[in-house]
Amino acid sequence: MSHLFEHNGAKGQGYSQPAPVLPASEITLPSGLSRKALPRWPRLSEPEMVRHYTWLSKRNFGIDTGFYPLGSCTMKHNPRVNEVIAQIPGIADIHPHQPEHHLQGLLSIFHEMQYMLEVCAGMDQVTLQPVAGAQGEFTAVRCIQEYFRLRGEDQRTKVIVPDSAHGTNPASAAMCGFEIVEIPSRIDGRIDLDALRAVADDTIAVMMITNPNTLGLFEEDILEASSIIHGVGGQMYYDGANFNAILGITSPGLMGFDAVHFNLHKTFSQPHGGGGPGSGPIGVKEHLAQFLPGPLVGKRTATGDELDAAVDENWYHWYEPTHSIGKVQQWHGNAGAIIRCWAYYRRYGRGLRTMSEHAVLNANYLRHAIHKATKEAGVDSLVVDGAEAKVAKHEFTLSLAPAKEAHGISAMDVAKGLLDMGYMAPTVYFPLVVPECMMVEPTETESKDTLDTFATHFAEVLQVDAETLHAAPVTTPVRRVDEVYAARNLCLRHPYDDE
Amino acid sequence: MVDQLPNLGREAEMLAAMGMTSIEELFADIPSEVRMKDDLPLPPPQSEEEILSDARRLLGSNVALGERVSFLGAGLYRNYVPASVFQLVTRGEFLTAYTPYQPEVSQGMLQAMWEFQTLISELVGLPIANLSLYDGSTAAAEALTCSVRVHTRKATQKDTVYVSELTPPDRLSVMQNYCQGAEIKIKFLRHNDDGTLDMDSVSDAVGSCGVYVEQPNPLGLLDGGVTQLKEILGEHTALIVAVQPVSLGLVEAPGHYGADIVVGEGQPLGSPITGGGPIYGIFACSKPYLRLMPGRIVGRSIDVDGKTAYCLTLSTREQHIRRHRATSNICTNETLIALMGAMHMALLGPEGLYDLAVRNMTACIMGKQKLATLDGVHMPHSNGDHFNEFAIELPGATKDCLEYLDSVGIVGGFNLSSWYPERTNWMLVTFTDQTQANHIDLLVKHLSEWISTLEVAA
Repeated sequence: MSHLFEHNGAKGQGYSQPAPVLPASEITLPSGLSRKALPRWPRLSEPEMVRHYTWLSKRNFGIDTGFYPLGSCTMKHNPRVNEVIAQIPGIADIHPHQPEHHLQGLLSIFHEMQYMLEVCAGMDQVTLQPVAGAQGEFTAVRCIQEYFRLRGEDQRTKVIVPDSAHGTNPASAAMCGFEIVEIPSRIDGRIDLDALRAVADDTIAVMMITNPNTLGLFEEDILEASSIIHGVGGQMYYDGANFNAILGITSPGLMGFDAVHFNLHKTFSQPHGGGGPGSGPIGVKEHLAQFLPGPLVGKRTATGDELDAAVDENWYHWYEPTHSIGKVQQWHGNAGAIIRCWAYYRRYGRGLRTMSEHAVLNANYLRHAIHKATKEAGVDSLVVDGAEAKVAKHEFTLSLAPAKEAHGISAMDVAKGLLDMGYMAPTVYFPLVVPECMMVEPTETESKDTLDTFATHFAEVLQVDAETLHAAPVTTPVRRVDEVYAARNLCLRHPYDDE
Repeated sequence: MVDQLPNLGREAEMLAAMGMTSIEELFADIPSEVRMKDDLPLPPPQSEEEILSDARRLLGSNVALGERVSFLGAGLYRNYVPASVFQLVTRGEFLTAYTPYQPEVSQGMLQAMWEFQTLISELVGLPIANLSLYDGSTAAAEALTCSVRVHTRKATQKDTVYVSELTPPDRLSVMQNYCQGAEIKIKFLRHNDDGTLDMDSVSDAVGSCGVYVEQPNPLGLLDGGVTQLKEILGEHTALIVAVQPVSLGLVEAPGHYGADIVVGEGQPLGSPITGGGPIYGIFACSKPYLRLMPGRIVGRSIDVDGKTAYCLTLSTREQHIRRHRATSNICTNETLIALMGAMHMALLGPEGLYDLAVRNMTACIMGKQKLATLDGVHMPHSNGDHFNEFAIELPGATKDCLEYLDSVGIVGGFNLSSWYPERTNWMLVTFTDQTQANHIDLLVKHLSEWISTLEVAA
């Protein structure tokens, strides 16, 4: 057990720096602004620093470490060339305020990404500015809010969210100032159209929904839901967290949505980095395009001097939408993430449909394999589908409620047992509508062999006695962590000796 | 795409196991009315080599700042990020992990973020830091809404915050978007002609929920008056100070002069500019703000054997638990970039931070000394001390000047008329640890040449 603050050499700077251009004695500061004591940071040489972070990395689990079937998170392989591309000085070492003729390459890639996302989503205009899915939701709902303000429809103060929705949906709408109307889902997590009709009136601004839903099931009634909301003058918002299931097969536009966000860090493989960065562009139909945060990238034919800096026959330029809501991030969004996702999409091009087909194939195959393996092991009575369905989409849910009832084995126990088998656990206890829920999303980048082995191991975990599973995990860097202790004995920074 | 899909060619076998004969059966639940009829109108798939080649061609056509002499900053600063940071941060265990929901197999990132919280806490002089927001502007915006949640009940100016009138419009716009939903009124603090805060204007903010200022201010000026603000405002108004973190190697930590919340663009510590993202926003605060603050926080705990272990804590503030009552909608943040920040800070150590701050500030001082020799260039705030950058007033339009400098291969400063439209001749010139003495000489030489072309024209 070691931590950074145990390192305190005499004056062991990790790397030496060039001399300043003038001696420090030239510096003057306003009275009272001279720092009295430097931060009590550790002092590490480079070898110590490299070893510390390498040691930490070995105590962390990523997709590269093993199978990561974390439902709703689309933990697909992150191609390494994307990291190489993101270090090219033409992206790493550029400033967002440089003039357009310095950034034609970047702008052309932005334009291509806007277009690619537009055609995949069936939307008319995309902005790449929002930097995370939740920020995309916030941005789209803000645009819709301004749209209604301009139309004088100020009575639209409510946003409908199904009870199975991601928590960011209601949080983002509330941040915009909307009242949240939560509607119950049916037993399979799908929309209850009667419940929707009961709340749909001219006070509704937006309905936020994801399709496939959070149980991995396609909302077959989506057109009817869209028509109910449009019928009362509201707008339909598509949460793109589950976009990996439908590329090239259907689109939010075809389903009647007016706005959508993309989680590029899910669908288009921006590495999650242990919690970010992400990228959350949004796409909207024509009537909302003028409200998007600016600037957007447009193009026209290059002429005259422009031809010297142009990357093709076009001139790519920034422009502001006429009724823009303003900005949601100060710069141009997570440009570095956009570049990685551009490199990712280029691998598939028009074959993106194949990517989604394999995501769905793998999910259904794994669901089948788990049921087969548990049956063969005689533990199939302990686990049931989270919802009845002939086919799932890119992910599926299981309920461990029978295991809980029979042996006191919870979804969390099974999750911890899977950690001992060398896997990341699936998402647990979400969505809330499934008791003892486990949400499994294998993604398209896992081999059949990995899925088969996981299914076998899953069945093995269910054969472990309750007492042993309660004590799991035992093979991990630490054993079950006491989250209640953490909250009751808050220690949010290194306690120095004098504290 | 072949290299990304391990089951390409095994579809029939997998389908057969499920009693199916075609992929189409897996999509039988999608009604025909919503099906795409045509193929996506996109180019054919490419190989890794072709993609890399296109990326090099397109990105290679951008002007990277390192190819030129550059004086462009205005919130993002060219720096040197040590090689080991890049090498370590791309380790797959960090790069390809999700948010650490399963702490037993995420101890590495959790501990690294707990250490990051400590490094930031020490840097800014406040006890609590989260593990990053999206950027400096969203951190500032979240600080404003946080100050209202904490103070509006006792405030005499309810739902009201004050921000410096110099706040760049793009940053202000983010604040407005975040504040409008809670019906927060944003009012402005005035500045004196010498660039310092107008203290009479600060008195107007007494009784409001929060006051936001930047140190150095958006024009690079270090303002001693900021240290007096807490005394004027009292305990029921949050003092929010935005910092350039490297400056804190020389400049007093805001927590030590009464700041309740410190935010800032973390980028100069650990991250290249990257066109403005991904970078990371710093958010630190004092104890009264803890339970109403935004973002993820790591706590130190124990495992069942009593061994030290780390986990996310105080999650009941967050969207996945509290839903529409959450303190913020943030979920994905900028963890990996914050990790780069932690690595850079770990390598620098306290003395390294001081040295880095000295390099930045002396480059700025040299810039000031040399530009002062130019006839026709006026420095509106020349009496003050500056970090990284300062405003100059030119004898002609900044736009023309920047075009001239560009034509001789210099990325000039920032055209301040895009922030302050009436200041058509103002330019913000930026100097960092990457600025060499001969860069400054080159700027002076070409500025002087541009000025002489104006004189000829006149």
